[in-house]
Amino acid sequence: MARKTLFVLRRLNRMIAVVVGLLFLLCAATVLVDIVLRRLGASFGGTDEISGYVMAIASAWGMGFAMLELAHVRIDILRAQVNRIGRCVLDLFAMLVLSGTISAIAVGCWPVVERSLRNASRANTPLETPLALVQVPWLAGWVWFAVMAWLTFVAALVLVLQGRFEESEFAIGAFAEQEAMP
Amino acid sequence: MIASVTAGLLGLLCLSIPVGIVLFILGFGIDAFFSPFPLIRGLGPLVWSSSNSATLIAIPFFVLLGEILVRSGLATRTYAALDRWVSWLPGGLIHANIATSTMFSATSGSSVATAATVATVAMPQAEKLGYDPKLFSGAIAAGGTLGIMIPPSINLIVYGFLTQTSIPQLFVAGLVPGILLALSFVLVAGVICSIWPELGGERRFFPFGQMMRALGDLLPIVLLFTLIIGSIYKGWATPTEAASVGVGGALLIALLFGGVNARMITDALIGTVKITAMIMLVVIGASFLNFTLSAGGLGHELRGFLEGLGLSPLMTIVVIIAMYIVLGFFIETLSLMVVTIPIVVPLVVSLGFDPIWFGILMIVLVEMALITPPVGLNLYVVQGARRSGTMSEVMLGTIPFVIAMALMIVALVAFPEIALYLPHALQ
Repeated sequence: MARKTLFVLRRLNRMIAVVVGLLFLLCAATVLVDIVLRRLGASFGGTDEISGYVMAIASAWGMGFAMLELAHVRIDILRAQVNRIGRCVLDLFAMLVLSGTISAIAVGCWPVVERSLRNASRANTPLETPLALVQVPWLAGWVWFAVMAWLTFVAALVLVLQGRFEESEFAIGAFAEQEAMP
Repeated sequence: MIASVTAGLLGLLCLSIPVGIVLFILGFGIDAFFSPFPLIRGLGPLVWSSSNSATLIAIPFFVLLGEILVRSGLATRTYAALDRWVSWLPGGLIHANIATSTMFSATSGSSVATAATVATVAMPQAEKLGYDPKLFSGAIAAGGTLGIMIPPSINLIVYGFLTQTSIPQLFVAGLVPGILLALSFVLVAGVICSIWPELGGERRFFPFGQMMRALGDLLPIVLLFTLIIGSIYKGWATPTEAASVGVGGALLIALLFGGVNARMITDALIGTVKITAMIMLVVIGASFLNFTLSAGGLGHELRGFLEGLGLSPLMTIVVIIAMYIVLGFFIETLSLMVVTIPIVVPLVVSLGFDPIWFGILMIVLVEMALITPPVGLNLYVVQGARRSGTMSEVMLGTIPFVIAMALMIVALVAFPEIALYLPHALQ
């Protein structure tokens, strides 16, 4: 069950990552066309504002995927010194702290969206974007990340309690791939 | 407060809690223990404003550009072309490793991606031509670090964002030190291989016609670099816009070389999302910590701390450099930068140093961190591509290049103009 849950979460978030990636590609294309138009004396206007929204929404939605791919950087000086059970305990602890912190962030972000909804706020820009339109998907991304974190934590906890340490390490260990660092 | 934050930082990092999360927890801690105001109310607005950024979207664009180029098969052609041009030097192909790294650095904003690309292409050659693996792989690990110095650089974008420093100026400031570092690597490898020829490989001379034909394969990268950097300095595009130009250019190159298909694009996009989300978690965390530190009175406390130390500005810089070298053994580039920027940069600026100069100095220091054991990501990347021999061979091979970097640090402190001349001249 735990293993199946993790498998489904990874599949799901991989699909989300493709959509987020396409969003980046679309945004790059829009910016590119805008530069060309500007050289010709015209412009869409507001591409940098839209880029900002894309960045906020895309990074929020990408975080859960990055977590499941073990891409969020951890320093493993201590972790590398202990045995497998020790590593699993540290992994679970880190995952618990992550889940709690991300939940706190999601809760802390709610007032921003609530205010935009209540006041029907618009961006102070030529586009006058209704802020709720972009902030709701942004908040949803953080909530999604929090939900993914708790589900992953519980699944890994079950694996550890069943004594399947290797599988837990595969799910929430450190440094699956080194390539993820700039 | 500084002491508590530093202790908390090191303790939490040692527990292997993700770096971005540690930064948030420290921010919560400052709010709870050191601030008379409820700083936590700033959390939501800060997470929104630091991620809603048209500046930072340059990061996924530059990552995507690199991901596309790496998958386009361009690296093999570039390496072969540079082999024609530099393998006559003592050390042979080792110089092609450095030169290819330098060229890829000029289009990629990432050091690990650069090292991984060059290692994959170069390593089979080393085995075939009987090179000593130590210096050969060391040159790739060290050459790869140039990715974050020679513009465009993701790390410089993050530095500029967190310290409110001009990103175009940082880019241009990295150019001369980056090229000097590349040349010093060539010099170091050349001198070592002149003294101990067995460490290098056969020097190869190619007919002039072949060399000229090889230039064609270098053209795409040169054009792409000119397009990206040129459009920024011509004032046509911001760094973000230039990055989108780069993505377009990279796709075009990949199309011309026949490397584009659905699978390749999907992989590149997924890789981009993963790296971007990873970077953004630490950047947003650092922005929140930055905010709590300054609202908690860091500036005041830093001044007191500095006066208490009684060190001259130069000595303070020396102490900071020593700290980075030690931390660099254990912490990686971007993490090392974002966890230290909120505390170190205000201190350095209050001493009267130029934040652009310090940004470049910091880049050399974190480049060093990439190839110093026990935690040096480029060492792992190169070892991963070798699939034989031991890690300690790569570590030994990087020592001469680490020394070159150390000399670069001394030179930057002694002659800040190395970094600052170009940005000032272009202003």
